Amino acid sequence: MTPREQMPDDPPPFLGAWRRVYLVVLFYLGALIVLFYIFMRLFS
Amino acid sequence: MRPLDWVVLAVSLVGIVAYGLYKGRGSNTVNRYLLAGKTMPWYAMGLSIMATQASAITFISTTGQAYVDGMRFVQFYFGLPVAMVILSATAVPIFHRANVYTAYEYLEQRFDAKTRALASVIFLVQRGLGVGLVLYAPAIVLAVIFGWPDRVTTLLMGGLVILYTVLGGIQAVTWTDVQQMLIIFLGLFVAVIMVVVLLPSNVSLGDAMYVAGQAGRLNAVDLTFDLKNRYNVWSGLIGALFLFLSYFGCDQSQVQRYLTGRSIAQSKLSLLFNAMAKIPMQFFILFVGAMVFVFFTFERPPLLFKPDAIEQARRGPGLAAIERHYDDAFARRRQAALDLIAARREERPAPVESYRAAQRDFDAARREAGALVEKGFNDTNYIFLEFVTHYLPTGVVGLIIAAIFAAAMSTISAEINSLATVSVIDIYRRHVRRQATDAHYLKASRLATAFWGAYAVLFAEYGRNLGSLIEAVNVVGSLFYGSLVGVFALAFFFPRVTGTGAFLGMLAGEAAIFAAWQFTDISYLWYNLIGCLVVIGVGFVFQRPAATT
Repeated sequence: MTPREQMPDDPPPFLGAWRRVYLVVLFYLGALIVLFYIFMRLFS
Repeated sequence: MRPLDWVVLAVSLVGIVAYGLYKGRGSNTVNRYLLAGKTMPWYAMGLSIMATQASAITFISTTGQAYVDGMRFVQFYFGLPVAMVILSATAVPIFHRANVYTAYEYLEQRFDAKTRALASVIFLVQRGLGVGLVLYAPAIVLAVIFGWPDRVTTLLMGGLVILYTVLGGIQAVTWTDVQQMLIIFLGLFVAVIMVVVLLPSNVSLGDAMYVAGQAGRLNAVDLTFDLKNRYNVWSGLIGALFLFLSYFGCDQSQVQRYLTGRSIAQSKLSLLFNAMAKIPMQFFILFVGAMVFVFFTFERPPLLFKPDAIEQARRGPGLAAIERHYDDAFARRRQAALDLIAARREERPAPVESYRAAQRDFDAARREAGALVEKGFNDTNYIFLEFVTHYLPTGVVGLIIAAIFAAAMSTISAEINSLATVSVIDIYRRHVRRQATDAHYLKASRLATAFWGAYAVLFAEYGRNLGSLIEAVNVVGSLFYGSLVGVFALAFFFPRVTGTGAFLGMLAGEAAIFAAWQFTDISYLWYNLIGCLVVIGVGFVFQRPAATT
């Protein structure tokens, strides 16, 4: 089999650290749920 | 299907295959064939992951589900971003650093050969049962709608997928997934535009959303906690979280997508792209279904959407009376919806109860007709295609059908590619032929891909005779993920757990899931959590003493 190389865990291309990127994703999820809730209430 | 539709469909399919063969050239080592030489950028992996998860039947039935049940299914995906964050922080760097071709190969590094073998067999059984279904399900729907023999549809889809997957390996799979996902996005975008355009001229988009909301079709969030309720915020955030951890972290059909990344960062970005894009996409698909519901509030839909069902219903007694009831119920519901809209515009109390009563009466007429066909009759999968084939303009029909083909092909190609990888890497190379040349394993990989492709076509071909079995296969397929995520959780987070503990934990986890399935009413989304906790609990018992670590 072809030998493979180890890979570096580079920082993300934005926000400087993966932890911050993860937090943005989780806030985004929370915002989506709130938006969907408002959307539902608006038309029901 | 008119000539222009055939042209659009043919150009799309030929384009997919040609592009796959072009991008898959140079797959002349096992590493390139199975891992694309670890050269893939994040956007290609991200779209490939998305395309693999979006099968044709998901595409067809999700819109139908919103039509009959509203948008609450979107909550199923609430656990996905959390799962992607967890996997980006754990599984992605661990798998990359372990230099593995498969997730199960890592289990031998961490535990032992028997744990790897058990996980590999669970994957092969589960995916092997599912791969034919992925091909068969859309084929049977398209066959009924268009009158095509389902054999033609399965052979066409299966043959094209086998061609580019065998020749081009994962590079062909990934890049065709990108192309297929773009066709799916385009198809969805055109579908939502068309359904809004086709609403009556006196019904605005705001009116349509108001009617859908009053009918409970925009019920995107349910905050009540109920273990027996399949879709609410909590089953999505907790129950489905474990399903997504299993699917994206332990299922080779997904793991292999992000193992092709040119760096750990690129692989993480591909998962996080899905974390951001998947829920809006599902919301959008469900919204199309909700708008189709409103469209059919003003345009009389067929009594039953499955084309041949009405003929079956005609053999039973009383269809004429049901049809009169249905026509009357449709007219009353239509008028009630117009009254709702008028009340909204005039800012006076809306006659919501009379509208909902008309909707219930309309649903009752459909249920009565369905009962004449068979007990538990369900035509959800035919609703969207009824709208597409009867109301969309020529060319657009071809585009939507191309999107459905693309969704099916992207899932099938990923599955046969991953089944071949596990067959060769975890079974053949590990247990049958341990020392051979790269060329030998490359040839074995191509043969295994062809085998699994042919198996999928044959399974789909004979699937029509296995009606109830296929339903059982679908249920059984959801019973294995809990123990898989449990064993990977042991591997990642419990360094003192032994191979024997992991192996026995998986067996105990499976036993617990099957017990929950057989003896309780707990919704299947919770099986993953139950299985995972049992695996961890049993594994925890079989730990090395702290002093020896």
